[in-house]
Amino acid sequence: MNLYRQSIALFGIVLPVLVCALLIAVCFTLKSRALASLENKQTLFKSYETNRLKVLEIETKILLQRPHIKHWTELLAEESSSAVNTHLRAIAETLPGKEFQKTAFERSTGKGGFGSAVAQPSSQLRIVFRGTFRTMQRAFLELESRMPQLQLQELRIDPNPNQQNPSPLLNFQVNYTAWEN
Amino acid sequence: MVTFQHPASLNALERYQQARSMLRHSTRAANPAWYQAALDLDLQLHIRVDGPSVASCFFERRKEQWTKGPVITEAELRDAANMETCAAEILRQARLFNASALGVIIHLADEFATSELKPALDNPAALPDLREAAVQKPATILDDSSIPPDQNSWRVLPYPAQGSGVIGTTITLTRKYAPFLTTLRQTGEAHNFPIITHALSAPLVAVMGLAQYAPLVPGKAAVAILQYPWFSVLAFFNEHADLLLIRTLQHRHLRQAPNLRHALTTTYASLELIDPDLFILSLGLDLDSGLHRDLCQAFPLSRVSIVAVPTPDGVPTCCPEPVIAATAPPKGEAARSLTFGILRDEKWALQDFLSTPKEISEVYPTRAEMQLLRGLRLARFGLCVLGVLILAWFALGIVDIVRSAAWTFVPSQVEVIKGRLNNLTTERQKSLHWDNLLEDRSKAWTSMELLSHLFPERCGILVKSFAHSVRADSAPGQAKIGFVKEWKITGLARDEALDRLNTLNTQEGITSQFHELARATGNPAFNPAVRTRSLAVNIRTQENNTFKSLPVEETFDTDESSYPFNFDLTITQRFEGTDPMAINVSKVN
Repeated sequence: MNLYRQSIALFGIVLPVLVCALLIAVCFTLKSRALASLENKQTLFKSYETNRLKVLEIETKILLQRPHIKHWTELLAEESSSAVNTHLRAIAETLPGKEFQKTAFERSTGKGGFGSAVAQPSSQLRIVFRGTFRTMQRAFLELESRMPQLQLQELRIDPNPNQQNPSPLLNFQVNYTAWEN
Repeated sequence: MVTFQHPASLNALERYQQARSMLRHSTRAANPAWYQAALDLDLQLHIRVDGPSVASCFFERRKEQWTKGPVITEAELRDAANMETCAAEILRQARLFNASALGVIIHLADEFATSELKPALDNPAALPDLREAAVQKPATILDDSSIPPDQNSWRVLPYPAQGSGVIGTTITLTRKYAPFLTTLRQTGEAHNFPIITHALSAPLVAVMGLAQYAPLVPGKAAVAILQYPWFSVLAFFNEHADLLLIRTLQHRHLRQAPNLRHALTTTYASLELIDPDLFILSLGLDLDSGLHRDLCQAFPLSRVSIVAVPTPDGVPTCCPEPVIAATAPPKGEAARSLTFGILRDEKWALQDFLSTPKEISEVYPTRAEMQLLRGLRLARFGLCVLGVLILAWFALGIVDIVRSAAWTFVPSQVEVIKGRLNNLTTERQKSLHWDNLLEDRSKAWTSMELLSHLFPERCGILVKSFAHSVRADSAPGQAKIGFVKEWKITGLARDEALDRLNTLNTQEGITSQFHELARATGNPAFNPAVRTRSLAVNIRTQENNTFKSLPVEETFDTDESSYPFNFDLTITQRFEGTDPMAINVSKVN
């Protein structure tokens, strides 16, 4: 008797339970893998999103500065001493010749002024002028506007030392630190 | 009709499929009658065969009501050609009772024989094993091994009385009605209607009924003479009403056993019975009515009684066995002696002589197996629901995952955006670096404008020299460094300029001048409001030794002797390392 019991237990209980357990295991495994993959992707996605927002933020800031950076880069690409002379010549053409005279120009590649404390390459420029106060101020304004890399280190203004022949022309001696690229 | 095979000939899967087929196509799981005994069913058909006649009657167990059964002939019971028709008619009539099952009990009163047990098995404790062996392996227990087992059926009958000499005997019946019962069962199978069969030996049932109907006297031995048309059965009881011996006497075409008196006498002697009571049960039609008179004459010292068994309507008077078998006696009557107790309680008198062969009964699952299968159907449904729920959970989970924005994200984009961010960061750093370096922190034209602001034309001041210098703070290890700007102005002053000089020599005065200059030039380096900057001023005034007091109209601005005072002015502006204009120390790439 009970000749069917084993078959019923095998095909009616064990097999369906195994199939169900297998199904559960497969589903759990697949879902776990999918979740793990999603978690990994989410981490990457968050990183991507964070970086993307940073990129947008930086781009917004940089967008306005790019023309300036480009201009600065062009300025810095030129050697400072020759650029200064070029600009001074151009400035001199717009000013009365008697009121603006460059009397000396000296360039030193050694570090000095701001350059001595900073890692950025720089050069030292020493220029001596003779001219009237206002004309020289205009010349400096023009030069320093054209060349923002010039940082004034020293400025001396002295009147003409000849007491017998007073002149409106003053002696100007300027020392600049010119940032180099 | 589906033909089922014995499970031993099937593999495990086929066995399971066959069981499921039975579950689907039969009511075996739902109807417990398939697994009940015929005498336990609510509707029973009792057929009594005594040779000359066949009687039948239905018994509704719940109502305890008997009704006349179908007319059945000997030919229908024996002839294979008529069996199916008879079985169909029985089924039809059974369905009229709205019954869910039918128990067919055939009372065999046309034959009765005994066969002795092997003397070696004379052990009362072995009776249960002998009972089982009589069904399965009769040859192992019978003293006479010449009787063919395929044509006969044996059942053990115990002799509970002490002093009987043997533990019991076997009752032998032929299998001539087995095909009829098989047909009935098959008809039930075919119509999915349980027909449970049971073949009883009518004399044994009648002996069991003596407890209710024979006036046994305690302390007095008794002999029951059961008169059937073709034979008589003698049952000998001791003074405790326990069975000592049972034997049969064939009538040999007479109306009574010719050697009855002799048989009684010799048995008295062998059992040492003295004038036992004699009880006569006439269990057939046209039996010898003079038996009572003959016995009274032959055994004058014995009390001779005719036992009448009352039968309800629907049951012939001469056929009390169905009533005895189907209805339980009032409590206590069956326990009048050990014999009567075990005949009913242990069903020694109700043994099935033509039980379903084992190889046929094994074809079908047991009741427990069918219930298990039925339960598994629900469990399988539950598993299916569980499976569907799991799949739904999985599918919804996957859909949820796939719908996520991150799922479609291509991981290589991380490196792309990271590279872009690095480039932009570098560009931004470069931009900030140059923005810092190119700050308007120190310009010549603004310093000259400072001089103009401090000393406007015709304010009574003659400036002799102007010197401006800028020096960076040395602060090793800092990302940014501060710086110091210094202005040194020397000159001459007239009286009217002293107030101005005094004003400039105050913190408020010089701060005001720087503030105004920052506004006028737009150069933030002169803004004194930034907290990381400090401003200091110092003016020293002295008398001019070359001063000559002259009328105003005779003086001119460049005449140094017209100025009564000398002065030197020092302004120091300090920018800390945390100032917005502090200089980046590092170099950008």
